[in-house]
Amino acid sequence: MSSPRLLTEPSSLSSSIFLPLNPLHKTAITKPSAKPYSKLPPIRSVLQYNRKPELSGTTPRVVVITSGKGGVGKTTTTANVGLSLARLGFSVVAIDADVGLRNLDLLLGLENRVNYTVVEVLNGDCRLDQALVRDKRWSNFELLCISKPRSKLPLGFGGKALVWLVDALKDRQEGSPDFILIDCPAGIDAGFITAITPANEAVLVTTPDITALRDADRVTGLLECDGIRDIKMIVNRVRTDLIRGEDMMSVLDVQEMLGLALLGVIPEDSEVIRSTNRGFPLVLNKPPTLAGLAFEQAAWRLVEQDSMKAVMVEEEPKKKGFFSFFGG
Amino acid sequence: MASSLQLHHLISSIPPPVSCLSFQYLIPNFVLFKHPVSTNTLGFNKRYHRRIWKGKNKYPDFFLQASGVNDDLIKDPLGKPNSNLLRHQISRLRQTVISLPPLVKSSPGSVFMLGFCIATTVLIVAVRVYVARKLSYKRPGSVADLVRRGQLNSDRRGISKLVMYDDPFNNPQVKISKNNSTVEMCGKVYKLAPVTLTREEQDIHQKRRSRAYQWKRPTVFLKEGDPIPSDVDPDAVRWIPTNHPFATTINDITEDLAQKNVYQKHGVPFRIQAEHEALQKKLEALQTDQKLNNLVIDPGSARNFERPFKSNPKLDDEQVEKKSTNGQTNSSQPNSHGSPTFEKKQTM
Repeated sequence: MSSPRLLTEPSSLSSSIFLPLNPLHKTAITKPSAKPYSKLPPIRSVLQYNRKPELSGTTPRVVVITSGKGGVGKTTTTANVGLSLARLGFSVVAIDADVGLRNLDLLLGLENRVNYTVVEVLNGDCRLDQALVRDKRWSNFELLCISKPRSKLPLGFGGKALVWLVDALKDRQEGSPDFILIDCPAGIDAGFITAITPANEAVLVTTPDITALRDADRVTGLLECDGIRDIKMIVNRVRTDLIRGEDMMSVLDVQEMLGLALLGVIPEDSEVIRSTNRGFPLVLNKPPTLAGLAFEQAAWRLVEQDSMKAVMVEEEPKKKGFFSFFGG
Repeated sequence: MASSLQLHHLISSIPPPVSCLSFQYLIPNFVLFKHPVSTNTLGFNKRYHRRIWKGKNKYPDFFLQASGVNDDLIKDPLGKPNSNLLRHQISRLRQTVISLPPLVKSSPGSVFMLGFCIATTVLIVAVRVYVARKLSYKRPGSVADLVRRGQLNSDRRGISKLVMYDDPFNNPQVKISKNNSTVEMCGKVYKLAPVTLTREEQDIHQKRRSRAYQWKRPTVFLKEGDPIPSDVDPDAVRWIPTNHPFATTINDITEDLAQKNVYQKHGVPFRIQAEHEALQKKLEALQTDQKLNNLVIDPGSARNFERPFKSNPKLDDEQVEKKSTNGQTNSSQPNSHGSPTFEKKQTM
C-alpha cells in the first residue's frame, strides 16, 4: 500500500526522473487496480503455446539481460530463459559478464566445470572453444564466464573483447549460435558498459517496487543512448495477493511507468530458491512450477520477438460445486 | 413446513383425472423425502426407498406410488392406465397429506423452530465460508500456504529426484479459458487483463528518457591520474580507480594479439606455445653452455653411490670396460692390465 501512495505524492512525481509529468501516470497510479480492467478492450491472443516458436531476426541474437538494481533476478532469468531456449531447440551461449560477482555457473550447476574464462582466452592460455562449458543436460546450451572471481578483467580493450567473442562465435565450425545471452552485472559501472557493448537487444528485469523501477528507467535510458532500441522487460517476483490488497504495484502500473513492452511476468515462487541452491534451473522441474512456466513463456516470446498481450492481474478462486459450501 | 403446506394445496387443487405420471414430475425430490412422513401412509417404490433415506438418490425423478397397490394393477391388460385406479390413488394421496402429523402441519412453535434451524444453518455456512477465506489469505508465504496454492508440492520436500520436463510445446499445466479472460496455471486460476500500452506511449517514454539521460558510452578505460591521449575524446573516457575490485587497465598483451587469441580456432594457444618455445630455448641454451658438462653425472663418481646389490651385471661390466678405456685414453701411461698383444695389434 505504501509504495503506490508514495508515487502519487506530487513531490515525488516532480522530483523523480523516471516518472514523467503526463496525465497518464497520475490516472494510472491513483486509480484502483481492479476497476479499470473491466472497461478494457477484449484480449486478442494470450498464448500460442502448442507449437514451436519461429525464430525471428538475424542470428546470432545478442541479448543483454540487465536491470540496474542488484538482486532482482538477472542471473535467474538468464539461466532459465537460456535453458528454455535450448529446450525449444535453439543453440544458446550464455556469457556471464558479471565480472566481480559471477553466479551463473552456480545456478546452472556448472561451477565445477569452469576451468577457463574469457580472460584466459584473451591472454592466450586457452582457445575459445576450450573456455565454453557445454551443459550435459541440454547439449545446445553453453556457458562462458568472463573471468574468475579473484582475477581482474583487463579493461584496456573496453567492450571490444566481447565484440570479438561474438564474432568468433559466429564463425565457429559447428555454426553460429542462435542466441547469445549476456548476463549483465548490477549497476552502471565498467562491467555494465562492457556487457552491453555487443548487444543488439536488451531484456530489462525489474521487480514491482520503486527502487528497482527507478534504476530500471535509468538503465533503459542508458541502453537507448547506446543505440539499443529493442528493449523488453520482465517483471519478476510478482505477488497477486499483494496486488489485490494494493500493497504492490500491478504489472500494468509498472508498464505504464516504464513504457516498455512486456516479455514476461514471473510470479513469486519459493521454488526459485530451491532450484538456485540445487543448481537446477526451474524450467527443468517436473512438475513445472509457476515461475518456470512463466520463464518458458518469456523465452517463447523472445524467440518470436513477441510481447505480452495480457497479464495476470489477480488470482481468482477456483469455481467449485454448489455443495462445496457444505464441505463437499 | 411451508413447502409441505404448499404441497398440500397443490395436491388438493389437482383434479382427479390428471394423470399420476404428470404429477410425479411436478414434485421436487427434496420436498418429499425431507418430511417425516410415515411409510405406512405414503409408500415409495422399493427400489428407491433405501437410496432416498441414505441420501444417495441418483435418480432425479423417483417413482411415487400409493402404498398397498401393485404395479400391475395400474394398467389394464392393453397397457393403458386405468382411470378408476388412478382416481383411487389420488384420493389416497389426498388422505395421506391430510393425515400428516401435527409437526408438519401449521403450528406456531414448530414454524419458529424450523425457521430457527434454517437461520442457524445459513449462519453456519456463512461463518464457515468467511473463516475459510480469512484463513486462505493468512500467512501467505508459509509452506502450507504455498502447498495449498499449488506453488509447492507437499510430497517433494528436500532435494528429491530430479526429473526432466521435456515437453514444452504441449503444456497441460497452462489452460486458457475460451474467452481469454482467465488462465489456469498449476491449478490456480488468474484473471487476465489486456495490455494497454500503445506505440505512442512508448515513444513518449523514449523521448522523455532521451531528454533525461544524455550519455555516451565510454570506449577508453584509463587509470585515474593517467594523461588522456591526444586522439581520444574526453567524454569517451571511463576512469578506473587503481584499487578497483575486478577491473584493471593494465594489459599484458597488445590488442592485436588479444584479438588473434580470441579468433584462434585450432592449435596450441598462444601463451602455451610461447611458454613452450621459451622453455625449449632455455634448455638448448643450457645444453650448449659449458656449465652443462658439470651437470652430467660422472659414472665414476656415481659408482660410489651405487648400492652393493648388482641389479644389472652386464651394465656394470660395460661401465668397467668403459672406465678402463677412458683411463687408457686419458692417462698417458699404459694400464697394467692391458694385454701386450692388443697393443701390438693397435700399433700395427
